[in-house]
Formats: sequence, structure tokens, C-alpha cells
Amino acid sequence: MNIENESVLTLPDGLLGFDHLTRYVVLSDNDKSAFRWLQSLEDPAVAFLLIDPWCFRPDYGPEIRNEDVAALGIRPESAKIVYAIVTIPPGQPEAMTANLLGPIVINVSAQTGRQVIVDNCEYYTTKHSILTEMRRATGLQATVH
Amino acid sequence: MLVLTRRTNQSIIIGDDIEITIVEIKGDQVRLGITAPRDITVHRKEIHEQIRQENIQAAALQAQDAALAQNLLDSPDAAKPKGSD
Repeated sequence: MNIENESVLTLPDGLLGFDHLTRYVVLSDNDKSAFRWLQSLEDPAVAFLLIDPWCFRPDYGPEIRNEDVAALGIRPESAKIVYAIVTIPPGQPEAMTANLLGPIVINVSAQTGRQVIVDNCEYYTTKHSILTEMRRATGLQATVH
Repeated sequence: MLVLTRRTNQSIIIGDDIEITIVEIKGDQVRLGITAPRDITVHRKEIHEQIRQENIQAAALQAQDAALAQNLLDSPDAAKPKGSD
């Protein structure tokens, strides 16, 4: 695994349910992968699989609230990265889902991040089937006979 | 729990700087207007809880499932349900 930028990512408020863990690193198995690992530095047993949401939902349009933007210190022009957290039911990787309702937004220059609840929450859920929506996006479903 | 009765356009103040106004009452729905400092986040409780539960499920992920998921991302066709081809 490679530690990207070798820098600590701080999530000052932690993640919901993991409020006490605030220091992470973002790791990748290989550069071409759409997946990343969000590894806790405070509890080695806690890691989240992240995905670039646009790789399977090119039309993803999260609306981020002003208070979340302010908390991250992001200006409209600042570089930010958005990741969705992936859930895989044990032994069923084909059923993997991504949480598009509560993505993680990272202020790249400050290396701080925050799990936000998107303002247009009527469009997104915590369980979007990655493979189904990826096939829909690429039109592959039309090939089913 | 403190229980108060309010009418449309009346409000309550929490602390010095959080104000909650009853904007509209229609049937069994109440529309609330909330004024709070920028660092106070306000969310519907059920959405907050959904995301908390999802995070807990996500943290239980097995490394071998992630490796298999990576293969599926590379060739999503491989995961088509049986009989679909």
C-alpha cells in the first residue's frame, strides 16, 4: 500500500458512530484503482473503503451546505476531493454499495475532512448499488438478452 | 422533556443564538425555520441515524471482499446475475 502524500488527514468531528477517531491516512492498493482506504491512525482495526463516486455515478451532484463548507475552510475555488464510503455485505462483493447521502469531503490543502449530509438528500441514499449504477451509466444493461 | 405550545410564526430561542420558528402547520406536518450559528449543524434525526448505521456496517468490511470488489469494478460484466446472458 502507498500512503498518498504521506500526510495525516484530520476529520475533526470524526465519522458518525466513530466520533472519537479523528486522525486518518488515505491509502491506495494501486494508483489505477477507484478505491481508497481510509485508515484510522488511532485504532488500527478501523478502516473504511472509499470510492470516487463519479466513477459509477457520473451525474452525482451533491449539494454541500454552507456550514459544512465553512467548517472545512473551503473557498469556492479551493481544491476538494469527495469520496463515498463503500459497504460490502460479507462474502457478497457484487452487492457492494456506496453511501452517496453522507460523502466525505476533503480540503486538499489543509488535509482536513468532514462527513457531510448532502442538502439534496431526496436524491441520494446510503446504499447505491455500485455495479448496477455503473452498468446503467455505461449502457451495458442494454446488452442483457 | 420540556414541552411548549407554539402557533404559526411564533418561535423559541435555545441559548443565545439558536432560534426555531414555526413556519407552517398543515395537517400532521410542521415546517420549522431554524436560525443557528454556522458551526451548528442541523439535520433530520432519521438521516443522521441512517448514516451512523451505514458507517458501522462499512467498518465491518473484510479485506478479501474488497479485493474481489476491485476485480468486479475492473470488469463489472462478470457479476451479472446467472441467466442474464
